[in-house]
Amino acid sequence: MTLILLLEQIFNGLQLGVTLFLIAAGLTLILGIMDFVFLAHGAQVMIGAYAAASLTALTGNFYLGILLAIPVTFASGYLLEFLLIRHLYRRSHMDQVLATFGLILFFNELIRIGFGPAALFSSLPASLSGFVTILPETPYPVFRLLVIGVGLACALGIHLLVSRTKIGAMVRAGANNEAMTAALGVNIRVLRRLVFAAGACFAGIAGMMLGPLTAVEPGMGEPLLILSLVVIIIGGIGSVRGAFIAAILIGVVDTLGRVLLPVILRSFMDQAAADGAGPALASMMVYILMSLVLVVRPSGLFPPKG
Amino acid sequence: MTLFHILVDGLARNRLLVVILAGFALFPIYTGIADLPFWNDLAMRIMILGMAAMGLNLVLGYGGMVSFGHAAFVGIGAYAVGISQFYGLDNGWIHVLISLLACGVLGLVIGFLSLRTTGIYFIMITLAFAQMLYFLFISLEEFGGDDGMSIDRADFMPIDLWEPLRLYYLIWVALLCVSLFLMVIVRSRFGVVLEAIRGNESRVEAMGLVPLRFKITGYVISAMICGLAGTMFASWQEYVSPDIMHWTRSGELMIIIILGGIGTLAGPLLGAVAFLLLEEWLPELMHVVAPEYAENWMIIFGPVLIAVVLFARGGLIGLIRRIGGGGS
Amino acid sequence: MSAPVLILDGLTKSYGALCATRDVSLQVAAGEIHALIGPNGAGKTTLVRQIYGSETPDSGTIRLCGQTVNHLSVPQRVRRGIGRSFQISNVLMGFTVFENAVIAEAARRGEAFRFLRPAFSDPALVEGAMAILVRVGIEGRAGTRVADLAHGEKRLLELALALAGDPALLLLDEPMAGAGPEETQHMIEIIARLRSDVGILLIEHDMDAVFRLADQVTVLVEGAVIASGEPQAVAADAAVRAAYLGGDDDAEA
Repeated sequence: MTLILLLEQIFNGLQLGVTLFLIAAGLTLILGIMDFVFLAHGAQVMIGAYAAASLTALTGNFYLGILLAIPVTFASGYLLEFLLIRHLYRRSHMDQVLATFGLILFFNELIRIGFGPAALFSSLPASLSGFVTILPETPYPVFRLLVIGVGLACALGIHLLVSRTKIGAMVRAGANNEAMTAALGVNIRVLRRLVFAAGACFAGIAGMMLGPLTAVEPGMGEPLLILSLVVIIIGGIGSVRGAFIAAILIGVVDTLGRVLLPVILRSFMDQAAADGAGPALASMMVYILMSLVLVVRPSGLFPPKG
Repeated sequence: MTLFHILVDGLARNRLLVVILAGFALFPIYTGIADLPFWNDLAMRIMILGMAAMGLNLVLGYGGMVSFGHAAFVGIGAYAVGISQFYGLDNGWIHVLISLLACGVLGLVIGFLSLRTTGIYFIMITLAFAQMLYFLFISLEEFGGDDGMSIDRADFMPIDLWEPLRLYYLIWVALLCVSLFLMVIVRSRFGVVLEAIRGNESRVEAMGLVPLRFKITGYVISAMICGLAGTMFASWQEYVSPDIMHWTRSGELMIIIILGGIGTLAGPLLGAVAFLLLEEWLPELMHVVAPEYAENWMIIFGPVLIAVVLFARGGLIGLIRRIGGGGS
Repeated sequence: MSAPVLILDGLTKSYGALCATRDVSLQVAAGEIHALIGPNGAGKTTLVRQIYGSETPDSGTIRLCGQTVNHLSVPQRVRRGIGRSFQISNVLMGFTVFENAVIAEAARRGEAFRFLRPAFSDPALVEGAMAILVRVGIEGRAGTRVADLAHGEKRLLELALALAGDPALLLLDEPMAGAGPEETQHMIEIIARLRSDVGILLIEHDMDAVFRLADQVTVLVEGAVIASGEPQAVAADAAVRAAYLGGDDDAEA
């Protein structure tokens, strides 16, 4: 394991981290502030990926595809909240779980009907397919660098939104307190819808960024959903800052773990067993980390104040 | 009150469940006459799934704990058989013992770690633990890893499971035991307090009781019931793989519970019937109504579930009650 | 009177910059009704929560029947002899009045962790449950689901459950809240009858009830005790008049 490879993996970890953050940011607010168990958040990732892929195919331009896909995902989140989600806020968590589970089934099947069950592979335009030398002798894919950049930019944007704007103050104050937000002159129903749509939008962006890197297929969002939940638990439900730190942490730990663990295992196991056990154990690592955090700090590392 | 009286009291209060159980007991007679042996297979699957759902319902319907971890316990119960057989242990009774023990211990650990939290935290944490176990079993190459392991029908001396209908009635007896057990404890002081905790934990505390003690106990019991279901499942399917413990399987159990009627004893069993029949018939229906989309019958299922959640929360039992004007 | 069932000594609690409880000391004797009054936000409920165990004081001791209970959890304190009725009715929904009492009775006997006998038809529990209901006079509504109870009846059940464990100390947090004039009278009579065995700490806004029931009154303003003693003396206290008693009948403001 050379230093160069290690660096490359760290960057990959950062890329996974920001991707997880994009997904977790919206979800932590939905879970923490609206107290709504939105299991179908992974579907938003999928919708974003498919929107970008099809709009790119339609317009023939990758950048245009993404630019157009962003309002599409925002709209999908907005519509979903308006049509269904808002009827479920008062229901028990169990009801929310089941309804959103039904949504997952529905969306996955809908995509399957519309685009077929096979994975789509989107190709990158020439401008993004190259490599960039980030350090001497270290070529790194331009696109992955872009993903990291987009992710950090979004993180900054969310931070500014939440901490500097009036809407952000409302959200922080707790979009759940009807009386208070009404007194502040904000329509809580619209606020919730916007938070929901924004969360969907960022999750969709994560999906769009993932498209060229992995396969765009039905159900692609669920594994990421689970990982985002771990991020949120570790970071603290309702805390965007916690989500960011936890996401980067998990992205790096998970990526490095998958690479390093087989190496470590190989030192006292035979090759085949090490290569087999490595990835699975690396997957478990994240949950073990989560369990440790839970034992020590049940409300996460950076629970929101108040 | 003697044990006999307690059981009779339980049976009298749960007439619908008794009817369903009797139905399952007599079912093979019908399939024998009508020459539909495949339906026995389906019935076994329904009984197993129903058993697992009844286990989850104890903590979910009565105790109000939305746990995504219970598919993992079903999986542990199934793997208990596979792993035991791997090491040359073929006695089915011992499999059951190992399964109950393993699920009991695991239920205690996971329950203890998870039940310190509530609400959304609890849901997410049980989900994460389920996934952790899923990945653990994928990584266990020795026991088949991703591909799973095949299982022989266990040796339940003196019963020979290869004789016709023996497995069917073994599963039925297990279901009967679980049903009787639940009938009794749901109405016992423990069960009633568990239900009280769901609605108002602080009042239960104000009575001098420690809610956590009851919740963990309920969790462990429900884990063991799911484990038993898993053990039966192993002999029925003659195969086990990590897929059985994926968190979406827990979601299926929850769907079954709500289809049948949450917080009732017969509900989960009725829900299992409905769920598996839907799974059989929806594709058929699609073939007739919209043949080009026959493969995508699942697209109906999602909205059906949402509709049930929005409009039919009492599930099938709620429906029966409204039509019959009351029942057990 | 008799030995104090509750001794608070120098209780202090702050939430960040807000000091909710300032060096509060008071005593409640067995057989005594001790009223705790004060304007809204004075910290009465916070104080009760510290006695009850759902909040921890920053400093000071809480002694129940002579034993320090600071380190005990809520259920542990309840078993030592505290009964609490909550300001907002905290009864077991989804059950009938009778079933509520049965569960309380099972808890009182330390027999809640049992798995066999059906709880609601167990003769031992039934007897005790009915006795609980008779004490406040709602045995006639035993079969009614809690959701169908009138507000005043819910408050009575709330009181019954607080009494169920045969506590030495009763913490009553505005038991009359939201009750009509008849129900209030009824409640006052019942509480007055309880005087013989139990020590009662009563938070109330209804001054009529306070002056009819209380043997001792403590006035809490902004977390501190500004007066404590017999009702007539407290009512005449200048500081109290200034801070709190604006007129004859204090409204529920």
